[in-house]
Amino acid sequence: MAVNQFQTQQHQNLQIHRLPQSKFIDAVRWLPPFAAFDKFIVLSLFDPTSSSSTIELHSLDFPDSANPNPILSPLSTFSSPSLSRTSFLKTSQSLIAFSTFSGSLDFLSPNYSSPDEVSLDSLPSLQEKGFHVGPISCIDVLERDCVSVGEDGRVNLVGFGDGKASYRRVFDSDGLVSYSAVKWASPMEFATGGLGCSLQWWDQRRKPGEPALQFKGKWSQKTASGVVHSIDIHPSRKHTCMAGGSSGTVFGWDLRWPQQPIVLSGVGIGERPSNPISESEVWEVQFDCHLQSSNITSMSSSMMPVMMCSEEGILAVLEPGAEPFELLEEPCAINSFDINKQNYSDVICSLEWESLAILSRS
Amino acid sequence: MPAPAAPNSDDQLSLFSPPPSSPKQPIIYPLHHSLSSPVSRIAISWSRGNTLRLSLLPQPSSNGGIEVNDGDDSSGGSVVEVKLSAGNGGIDDDAQWRRIVYGSVAPFAMFQSRKNSAFSFSKLPVGALSNVDWWEYVMEYSKEINSLLGTTKSMASSIVDDPRRILMVDEEPTSLKAAWELLEIFYADKQSQAWLPERLVDWLADYDSLFSETQFTVYSKLVDLQQRLLNMQTIEDDQKYWDCLSSALALGWLDIVVKLLRLHGSYQLDQLSRRETENGLVEAVVVLVSKMPRLRPELQAGRLGECYKNKTDFIKGWETWRARVTKLECSGYWVQCGHQKTREGLRKILQIMLGNTEHLSATTCHWVELYIAHFIYIRPFTVGFESLYSQAQKCIQLKPVSHPHSLMGLMVGILGENTEVVLAECSRAFGPWMVTHAIELLTAGNDQSEILLHEVRQNLGGVSIEELHRLVYAQVLASNQLTWQIAPVYLTSCRPGMGMLEILLYRQPVHLKQGLLKNLEICRLYELDTVSSNIMKIAGVHHWKHGRKGSGIFWLQQAQDEIRLNKIAQQLFDFVGKSVSEESFKQWEGLIELLGSDTRTAGGLEFLHKYRDFKRSLQQVVDGKATDAARQAVESLILLMKNPSTPQQFWLPLLHDSLKLLTWREGPLLDVAQTNLLLNKLQELSMARMRPDYVEADLPTQALSTVRLALATNLGRAILEEQ
Amino acid sequence: MEKTVATLEKGTVCSAWNYSAQRLATGSINGLLTIFDSPDPASSSPFSPSSFQVHEGSIVKVAWVPPEYGDAIACILDDGTLSLWEEVTGEGQSLQWKICTKFQNKSARVLDIQFGGSSTCLKLVVAYSDGYAKVYELQNPLELNTWQLQAEFQNVIDSVSKFAKASCLSASISWIPQIGESQQLSFVLGFNSDIPQLNSSKVWEFDQLHQRWLTVAELALPENTGDPVHAVAWAPNICRPYEIISVATQMGIAIWHIGLHPDVNGHLSVEKIALLSGHQGEVWQMEWDMSGMTLASTGSDGVVRLWQSNLNGVWHEQAVLEPTS
Repeated sequence: MAVNQFQTQQHQNLQIHRLPQSKFIDAVRWLPPFAAFDKFIVLSLFDPTSSSSTIELHSLDFPDSANPNPILSPLSTFSSPSLSRTSFLKTSQSLIAFSTFSGSLDFLSPNYSSPDEVSLDSLPSLQEKGFHVGPISCIDVLERDCVSVGEDGRVNLVGFGDGKASYRRVFDSDGLVSYSAVKWASPMEFATGGLGCSLQWWDQRRKPGEPALQFKGKWSQKTASGVVHSIDIHPSRKHTCMAGGSSGTVFGWDLRWPQQPIVLSGVGIGERPSNPISESEVWEVQFDCHLQSSNITSMSSSMMPVMMCSEEGILAVLEPGAEPFELLEEPCAINSFDINKQNYSDVICSLEWESLAILSRS
Repeated sequence: MPAPAAPNSDDQLSLFSPPPSSPKQPIIYPLHHSLSSPVSRIAISWSRGNTLRLSLLPQPSSNGGIEVNDGDDSSGGSVVEVKLSAGNGGIDDDAQWRRIVYGSVAPFAMFQSRKNSAFSFSKLPVGALSNVDWWEYVMEYSKEINSLLGTTKSMASSIVDDPRRILMVDEEPTSLKAAWELLEIFYADKQSQAWLPERLVDWLADYDSLFSETQFTVYSKLVDLQQRLLNMQTIEDDQKYWDCLSSALALGWLDIVVKLLRLHGSYQLDQLSRRETENGLVEAVVVLVSKMPRLRPELQAGRLGECYKNKTDFIKGWETWRARVTKLECSGYWVQCGHQKTREGLRKILQIMLGNTEHLSATTCHWVELYIAHFIYIRPFTVGFESLYSQAQKCIQLKPVSHPHSLMGLMVGILGENTEVVLAECSRAFGPWMVTHAIELLTAGNDQSEILLHEVRQNLGGVSIEELHRLVYAQVLASNQLTWQIAPVYLTSCRPGMGMLEILLYRQPVHLKQGLLKNLEICRLYELDTVSSNIMKIAGVHHWKHGRKGSGIFWLQQAQDEIRLNKIAQQLFDFVGKSVSEESFKQWEGLIELLGSDTRTAGGLEFLHKYRDFKRSLQQVVDGKATDAARQAVESLILLMKNPSTPQQFWLPLLHDSLKLLTWREGPLLDVAQTNLLLNKLQELSMARMRPDYVEADLPTQALSTVRLALATNLGRAILEEQ
Repeated sequence: MEKTVATLEKGTVCSAWNYSAQRLATGSINGLLTIFDSPDPASSSPFSPSSFQVHEGSIVKVAWVPPEYGDAIACILDDGTLSLWEEVTGEGQSLQWKICTKFQNKSARVLDIQFGGSSTCLKLVVAYSDGYAKVYELQNPLELNTWQLQAEFQNVIDSVSKFAKASCLSASISWIPQIGESQQLSFVLGFNSDIPQLNSSKVWEFDQLHQRWLTVAELALPENTGDPVHAVAWAPNICRPYEIISVATQMGIAIWHIGLHPDVNGHLSVEKIALLSGHQGEVWQMEWDMSGMTLASTGSDGVVRLWQSNLNGVWHEQAVLEPTS
């Protein structure tokens, strides 16, 4: 798809480009590159006119420094008539995994020939009845291992063997508990989140088949009524989780002090910044290593900065004890974002109004 | 596909009938279907916004639905969706259309809030505020909306290197943009009201191509000429060349005129010696054209004409220039010009510059062109709105049109200062988006339109025309799954909109988390607590009944729906009462955690949380022998027995489970008061057993007497202890 | 302009969309109830149908229960009974449609039903072929088999007169559209019968004080009170200082304005604003759009007509949708 329109604004070494897509963006992720200077983006798009979903792989180029408007060039597209809308998308070097609202988990494998030629190979998908009932709410991918959770209260691990995907049920709450977020910490550990701002830590070695640790924060009523939408795990300190959810809540959970949330943002919590950056749903959170690489002194602080996006259209970086730094303020919701793990200065966001926003920080 | 049975220019269903009170025949639309048998029955259902879903049902055969004729594999009917959205302003690409819709939200909302604050500040109707700031706001709004409608480069301004290319179109201009700019010129741009004629000249230069759809225009003449130019040598022999020159000049397209004149054969090097005078005349005209005075603040760089900012200077300049034109007209050189067509053509050009009515009329194609030509050459000193309308009517009489372009209708409405006609034309040709956003311009500084559009009408059920249009537009937005979330912006900006917003929110599907939360966010923003709790109830019941008990309870808790939660508590107690084993309790752990986290409205479910705590400390007592654990268990037990939400059916099982505590070897764990409380409960229970609706717990028959004995023993020991 | 969203099975005779227009229920002449679902949010197709047998004979009409009470459908069957089906997950079972309850009545057949009330109290009005209407109330909001008969009356102005041998061909009920907690309970009911007094549409309102249903308005001019009523529809009211109800008789579609405030006798003022003719033959169904400004109607002439009022309050036919193959 060609770049139809662009908008650039200069803001303290921050460049923002908006690329209208003419289709609803269900999900967007960076694809880890195969060579040093490649930038690839995976998009899941929904076309309301034809009611069809596609997964598209694009390369992102900034032609020259004088003209910094990025160009998205399509490399490969995957679609199938039976494809349902994407509920969550995750990528690793060798795998693009996306879950759907109809309860299936599909996989694509990127096949790299050159920076201009990357194809998408379809791998067998999981859509058995016993896998999940109803929509899969969240997945995470670590190399070629996948974990999925759903509102049905099931936690499944998916692996590849003999060229086909197979799953193992870790837990089934039988609908008594619903999960809405999941994130790998290590090949044996992952964290889940759900209703009531709850978090669970799973350790497959020490305590298989049930949560090894439950987060029990003493929340005020307002926060307790929230849902966790997104979890991230500290890239170097695996015992620190960050969660984002309803009412603008962003909080950290240190496994060593499981009763004390480190609240970065939120409404109705005792100790919090005077002006909450958001009062609505925080759809995604990710630890932000960008400042860290440039500013070594901040390493000493207790927690790394966190980027979040919200239904109110805010993309911001939060840090304990500091004023939030707003990167974007859109008139519509920012449904998801992804920080480029190879180049932390690049961020890509999906906007409610059928647009992508690409941010370059320097 | 057969065409619509009734002639209808824009082939769209307009929800709003524009010319008030004029009786209209209903528009007939065919509903195409592929059924082999005729439709005998239609079932109607309104779907999102103003879409209709129709079930077309053929007559079912009488023999139980099984077709005798096996060859007929027709289906039993079909469901079609009909979008009644009024026209999208001639923009056919849905995605492009949505982009305009998205883009107009922020300017609209910004303008509304500025209007509201201006209103509250001055206590005067907005129209009475005539300060500079206000008009800047209006212009800012207008420009932002305008920028969404595409970019058009002025045709005359496009300086093309190729000398033989006189027209360049980067982007197809749209009628929608042309209409918006027309409104902007007349209603928003108060700063340049003094240069109105020149603004109209520019406007027509940009959009004359649009009129070519329905009639012959100067633009289409030029397009024709462009074709011929490419393979023509002696251009000045062609009458069309001279016609086009006059026509382009009549509309003030000076750059094109000069460019065309320079193509004249006399400029060619080999011709110079033979056609000196001829060339001199052509060049003289070129100079005059290039120096034509224009009453406007500025001219784009590279564009021709002499710019005058105020009327006095302009009148002076104009008279000087006219004198020069007259002088050339009377010049003796004309007889020395050997080329007849050049002579005639150039003199015709001079006539136009002198404002010869006949020539102007002959060289322009439709009335708008003639009207513009009038401004330039006959009444160049027109400022503001003086007699604009009567002039337009004269032009219409001179050049009547059988099928007027929608922009012409709009122009007549504007010039006639008839707000109703302007709205009707906007609505008919460009649909609800245009009307909703254009009303802001119409009412910006015009008291009469404001009264007309803001007056509450009983005939319309107590809404004003402005409100009506916002409702209609919101309904269009609501019919699209990607734009419905924008509807609240327009609905909340008008009084009756809240009622419709409630209906709209109520009809959104809530079974998926993301959609539900986006719905609730809108409720939060506009403080629609009742709707919000209703939506959560719908979600809660849906999850509960579809096997997601946790989500069900969660959303019902959010809705504070005590009635349903209490019913759920009953069901859960029955289940828990049946299976209190540790194993099954593990499964409930997460749910109980959730219940405990919300102290507001767990309803009877609060009990489960306490019960879990009790069972847990009891377990510790069984595992070890810690008296501390035992004391804690007793605390939990007393709390449970005191709590009114503990169901009666649990009293005996609780006490029976606690037998070990009641007969604690190391000494009595319960004091006298506590023991008495439990004894009273036991008494109450024995009374309740007499009633027919009592549910017997699944316990050994002697359970009650065992508990009573244990309590009695404990009481005795406690009394001794206390003394 | 139009787009096919579903293809129905042979013998389909009735259909109904749920509150969010995401699910479609259809009933067939051989007793099959079919549910069409779209799995995706915001997508209107493709619809994947699933069917199950609810009856030996034909299903006459289907209606969704309000969503606060789950995903459930009421079916009027050709034997004159009414059955209620619900989509639930049982203990350790997957999702399935189960029967909740059956409403049996030996003496008369069910002609029409409508759910009403609020999110806290669900009511069901059933119109029978003997000219009676019964109002049921749901006792437990989570159990759709706990109905209790609240009232039973004939559609007459003065509750004293009774017509023992009434024979009604059809009936039409429409509740006042409202959402949320509002306590106002009102509906309009009209019959097509051989007893003139039963026919005219009457607005019934629940008198909370005395816990009884009363007629508060009659929607017929004195000379037309006996005319059989084919369909009624109560318009949503987003801001009007009066209610609008449309009533279809053989004369055409009448648009009525009903005052909001009762007089000393407890009656509401009524005014017939328009009589819309256009349909050839009987009008079978009328539906108001969400704004209460456009009325869609259809009938035995097999076309859909859209009606609107212009800026001067004059009602007119806006458009006709005509099937062509």
